Amino acid sequence: MRPNPYEAVPAVITDTIDETPLIRTLRLKPDRPLPFRTGQFIELSLPGVGEAPFTPSSSHFITDIMDVTIMKAGFVTEHIHRAKPGDRVGLRGPFGSSYPLEEFEGRDLLLLGGGCGLAPLRSLFLTLLDEIGKYKSVTFYAGAKTPQDCPFKDAFAEWHKHPQVKLVRAVDAVPPGETWEEEVCLVTGLLKKLDVDPRETPAVVCGPPVMMKFGTRDLLRLGFREDRIYLSMEKKMYCGFGQCRHCMMGEYYVCKDGPVFTYARIKDEEGIWD
Amino acid sequence: MLIPSDELESFLRRCRDEPIGPYRKIHVPIKPGDGGASFSSLAPLRGDLRLALDGYRSVDPPKLLAYRVREGVAPFAGSSSPALLAGVKACDVKGFEVLDRALINGDFTDPAYASWRERTTILSFDCTDVGPTCHCTLTGGKPFAETGFDANAARFGQDYYLSAATEKGRALLELIGRHARVDAACTQMPPAAETRRAEMTARVQAQNEAFQRPKDYGRLRSSPPQAWQEEARECVGCGACTHICPTCYCLILNEEGRGGAFLKVRSYDSCQLHGYARVAAGVSPRPRVDDRFRHRYLCKLVIMKGEFGALGCTGCGRCTEACPGGIEFRSVVRRLMEMPSGERSAEAG
Repeated sequence: MRPNPYEAVPAVITDTIDETPLIRTLRLKPDRPLPFRTGQFIELSLPGVGEAPFTPSSSHFITDIMDVTIMKAGFVTEHIHRAKPGDRVGLRGPFGSSYPLEEFEGRDLLLLGGGCGLAPLRSLFLTLLDEIGKYKSVTFYAGAKTPQDCPFKDAFAEWHKHPQVKLVRAVDAVPPGETWEEEVCLVTGLLKKLDVDPRETPAVVCGPPVMMKFGTRDLLRLGFREDRIYLSMEKKMYCGFGQCRHCMMGEYYVCKDGPVFTYARIKDEEGIWD
Repeated sequence: MLIPSDELESFLRRCRDEPIGPYRKIHVPIKPGDGGASFSSLAPLRGDLRLALDGYRSVDPPKLLAYRVREGVAPFAGSSSPALLAGVKACDVKGFEVLDRALINGDFTDPAYASWRERTTILSFDCTDVGPTCHCTLTGGKPFAETGFDANAARFGQDYYLSAATEKGRALLELIGRHARVDAACTQMPPAAETRRAEMTARVQAQNEAFQRPKDYGRLRSSPPQAWQEEARECVGCGACTHICPTCYCLILNEEGRGGAFLKVRSYDSCQLHGYARVAAGVSPRPRVDDRFRHRYLCKLVIMKGEFGALGCTGCGRCTEACPGGIEFRSVVRRLMEMPSGERSAEAG
């Protein structure tokens, strides 16, 4: 009998971290490990409430514990935000494609992300850090609307210290009463300062659709190659294996052909930025 | 083998009543009410029902039995009781062939569908009538099944010629041979049955004379947006066409556990509904009715062809029958296929 693809592996919440007013990280201990490759996604369910797809935000080298960083955006995520340490959730997966780390080896890398799109990039970044000797450098441009919307506040301070890492954060605006000592611009505005060779550098982009769209446009203008721009696409993914058909993007299923696509592969499909 | 038609019907009834054979559940097309209706619907066999084994396909597609509108899929215990589905027509057998590729494959297996397929024997029947919206011949089909069945009954005169294509089908024929009056010596389809098939094929072709179309639907991708908007004008986005389609299987997976236990329930969904592809913050890749209308035609005629090597349309014509807006699938395809290419192809250029 083949394993039931709808069956969830129970996991207990061991900790919750409030990243921003809308974003929270759950630290999960699954009953049995769910090894994943960074960039892949899982389906997380709450008994009696619902299920939704998320990309883990922890390194794929850690298998007994998984972090999942979730923005409050609807019914299921609101319930997930109410969950407490000790509560149990269900995990299915991992599903889909991952970031092709072997293609990144020996190169400068650019990570460009915004908002909750920083969650998959945190996973990628931590995975890269675990084997940082394999890569030439990592430039991580992280954006948020305002200072209080920046996730992973404590971690950024740590990551800054790493010699091969160039970490720049930007916020769109600083509301009265908040302080900010880093950049104030759209995250794509940081690309002006990039000091790596665009033709040789893979870029990984993850964030809200509008940021992905203009981020990709700007990267192309700078001379990045279409087949080295990696996009983490978001569509509605109910099942994770191409059955429910909700995540179809042209001829591709985001759940099994993606969620990580090169821009070259999907540029002619309809509605990729919607 | 040959069997008189009343003998086959009586065998099916005895399978339920006595019972003969292993089939704990038997579904057949029946004539509703007093039997005067021209259409049939699927029902569990009961003594007081009028069977409609001949004619054309039932109003409701048999996928409703194999892939239920709503069913628990995890945990899934399933049933191992053998079942019999008799009286399905070629278009629905083709529907199962598409669903088999979609739901039992290398990527995953749907446990509920696979369980039903495994324990159910399909006894298909040749069409002896043509429904007003039937158009199997336009989609590469015929009004009789050539593959995909376990056993088939080809009607001619007052008899059926029975043939088997699988182990399950051979077991059924063996059971029939033991319990009914048959001519087992006949192992070749009689010429009269062949003639009957050719006549039926000609009838479906004649009905669809005005809708002839090429086999490659790729050009639908480049039909101009205004043409889709025009065609979708009467579409209310209710999703009836997809729910009743023998090859549509889009689903929603709900978590309905109680007391901390997980229970995954899958229900039908429809790409015609507004919320279908919506993601966080309410963004949808197909926000307008005509976007979703177009998506369905492309899915049926282009995308599924690429995925499964078979059209997602078996020509059953149920979508036209079910549409409250009176949208005629065949006519829409004909008009759009005749359109000169529009802007979309230029964009993709």
